[in-house]
Amino acid sequence: MGSAQDLAVVHARAWTGSGAGPVEDATIVVRGGRIASVQAGTAPPAGLTVLDAGGRNVTPGLFAGATQVGLVEVAGAEDTTDEAVSSGKLGPAFDVAPAMNSNSLLVEQARSDGVLWAMSFPNGTPNSPFLGQSALLRLGGGSIVVRPRAAMFVRIGGSASFAAGGSRAAQWTLLRRALTEAGQLGSRGELPPDERLLGRYDLEALRPVAAGNMILAIQTHRESDIREAIRLARELRLRVVLVGGAEAWRVARELVVARIPVLVDPGANLPLSYDELGARADNAAILHRAGVTVAIIPSAHGIDMNYNVGVSSRMAAGLAVAAGLPYAAAIRSLTLAPAQIWGAEGTTGSLEPGKVADIAIWDGDPLEPGSAPSHMIRGGRPISTLTREQQLSRRYAPINKDDPWPPAYR
Amino acid sequence: MLGRVCAASVSLLLLANLPIAAAAAQRRGPPPPEVGRHFDDAAHKAWSSRYRPLPRSDLLIVNVRVLDGAGGKLDGSVLVRDGKIAAVSGGTPPTPAGVQVVDARGRWITPGIIDVHSHNGTFVAPLTANDSEYSDVSETSSPIAAGAWVEHSINVQDPSFFRALESGVTTLQTLPGSIPLIGGRSVVLKPVPASTVAAMKFPGAAQGVKLSCGDNPRSFFGSKGRAPNSRMGEIEILRALFTRTRSEKHGKRGPGGPIDAETIDGVLTGRFPVHVHCYRADDIATMMNLGAEFGFRITAVHHATEAYKIPQLFVENGTCAVLWADWWGFKTEAADAIRANAAFMDAAGACVAMHSDSPLMGQRLNVEAAKAMAAGRRAGVSIPPERAIRWLTSNPAKVLGLGDRIGTLAPGRNADLVLWSGDPFSVYTKADMVLIDGAVAFDRSDPRRQPSSDFFVGRPSGQPR
Repeated sequence: MGSAQDLAVVHARAWTGSGAGPVEDATIVVRGGRIASVQAGTAPPAGLTVLDAGGRNVTPGLFAGATQVGLVEVAGAEDTTDEAVSSGKLGPAFDVAPAMNSNSLLVEQARSDGVLWAMSFPNGTPNSPFLGQSALLRLGGGSIVVRPRAAMFVRIGGSASFAAGGSRAAQWTLLRRALTEAGQLGSRGELPPDERLLGRYDLEALRPVAAGNMILAIQTHRESDIREAIRLARELRLRVVLVGGAEAWRVARELVVARIPVLVDPGANLPLSYDELGARADNAAILHRAGVTVAIIPSAHGIDMNYNVGVSSRMAAGLAVAAGLPYAAAIRSLTLAPAQIWGAEGTTGSLEPGKVADIAIWDGDPLEPGSAPSHMIRGGRPISTLTREQQLSRRYAPINKDDPWPPAYR
Repeated sequence: MLGRVCAASVSLLLLANLPIAAAAAQRRGPPPPEVGRHFDDAAHKAWSSRYRPLPRSDLLIVNVRVLDGAGGKLDGSVLVRDGKIAAVSGGTPPTPAGVQVVDARGRWITPGIIDVHSHNGTFVAPLTANDSEYSDVSETSSPIAAGAWVEHSINVQDPSFFRALESGVTTLQTLPGSIPLIGGRSVVLKPVPASTVAAMKFPGAAQGVKLSCGDNPRSFFGSKGRAPNSRMGEIEILRALFTRTRSEKHGKRGPGGPIDAETIDGVLTGRFPVHVHCYRADDIATMMNLGAEFGFRITAVHHATEAYKIPQLFVENGTCAVLWADWWGFKTEAADAIRANAAFMDAAGACVAMHSDSPLMGQRLNVEAAKAMAAGRRAGVSIPPERAIRWLTSNPAKVLGLGDRIGTLAPGRNADLVLWSGDPFSVYTKADMVLIDGAVAFDRSDPRRQPSSDFFVGRPSGQPR
């Protein structure tokens, strides 16, 4: 018998996230909230609720690889934001998961724009270079945190160096020392507390990173810093992910060898800082050609990264295609690649049997930012894409212009 | 403000530059004549344009899909002679002697993109820590920086100018920021390589004056224990200033001294286009009322995220709404932004222009327009491409008081145009060729026609193409 989470999407142009091209006229069968099969031209099993995609593009629900959705409401009003701490003791132990707000309008907007998964990361602590620990999100109602403490984030570079005294060398030294101390916790080589850089809570938070069990996400841009990240990963045997990476294209081969994936912004084709002098639009295309796992993030404005993360991610991927990234790789960079990078590919990221049925059906080409989902499916269930923004639009739509009553009555 | 991730604050710094809508219904009828053209007068000769067109030849572009910027669309050809549009016609006319033929092979042509809200040249890439201490975007030592001219801040080597050109921008207005109530005078530029700002200045274009409303002035000065620290305080200061300037015949002893008074007097006598940074409908109406009290028209309200709530005020005042497609929520006064704003305003008969406020978005105003069109369509208002292109061409030209020189492809207009690789409203489309005054200022297929900033010369991590 069919359950509420059983469904068939028929006549889909299915971009699976894993394939090199679309599955044309695909039938996507969902059972128990998970993908059961994706096959071209087959009839759906009898008894299933059928959703006719009418030839439209269908993708996995998108995965925002680096955002602060859930942590930010009104960026200009501090009491509505939780993405950073500017005073107090916390460093690596700063864990943003308890602050995650599923009722945020930014969460609603992201979902409506096609995003169902996100890595929401912290933006800073008083303990440079540590930003804190991120959370893996599946956007919906209720609790959206799938995995708290999903990765440890650090930021290294010119503009971030002040908190470490003004030199990026100090940032690298602090990071290296802290990881070494964390690795020694409880062992014979452990430093006495008064000689440690960090307190016990912070070191304990870093311990899984030092042990290679937790991802260290390094947000940095300059070639020299990327090379240092590669060296650190090799010497301390860390699982490193590069975020930003404006000059990563210059180190593509080394990143492949080190198996370090990169989250890049193809829209950032201007050197907004001296760390990004090598910024170029085809960064993602070059990295992809070299064999680096590439996810695409919109990062250049807070607006893009948070408020419009769905639209801006797709625009960034479209710009990457315009700069030479193959289309299927661009879809992958918003779906399977970020899922792989953040260790969620067993659950999500592609339309493959066994994965959760988180699906977007598009009213056009998803990489054209003007397109939008016509339907969103989460765990096999259609979900609403209605936003506050759309409701305001309805209230003030030109069709109402002869209504003698103020819009507040609508 | 320097890190990518801190970029919300970068945006906030810039987002200060919008215009305002007004409440006065008394100024009906056609918009007043364009202002400011005559202001390139003797007193300001020292600051006048020294722009000279790049070397050019006459061109006939055939087999092209034309969006003419005035609402027209046709398949045919465009003839460029002596830096002007000579003819736009259906089919392929005979080639006049001495004219080079470009076969567009079905590609699209539009007037050059006009960005009326840029900070290029003052928000200079790469930013450094110094920019967070003091910048060239705004003079923030006083809420009244009326006497400041942003052209005196411009760094002509800002790589953003070159990126703008490569993406089809042929005219841009750099505005002072929105921290002061009166930010000073804007400058209208052509993104052509030059060693002085004078050589980029659009000949004869009026300077605009930048006014701000709402959160930015009150929060910046209020947090320093200075005035204004409220919205009503902002209007009080402006009314006091305008009243004094008006009463002192020629305003030579205005509160900010003769230099401030010169600008304020120019606002009150309608010599300058007035650009107001404003978000909320009530704030916009307040600024329009201020204009009504002192007898000046607001040319454009920039940002205007709530313009859709008061379209008639824009129509009645002949004020243009200068908009983003979808920026919202980053500050309380931007909470009610809707994506159908541009489409709703256009449907109401108001003038609409898209703006960037950002050197990255300044490269993709065409995609911004595409997003705004799509949002309109979903909200029940379909704007066809030949109409939406006005948001990037003829409407911003009007805002700058240059509607009879740029923004449309019609005989006699400056030959500022873009040959696109495809549909100009697609994210995949690039500007293949950009003409300014008939000269090929950028050609994607010709490395000799791809200028780059001196900044990149000889840098090991510079930008290979």
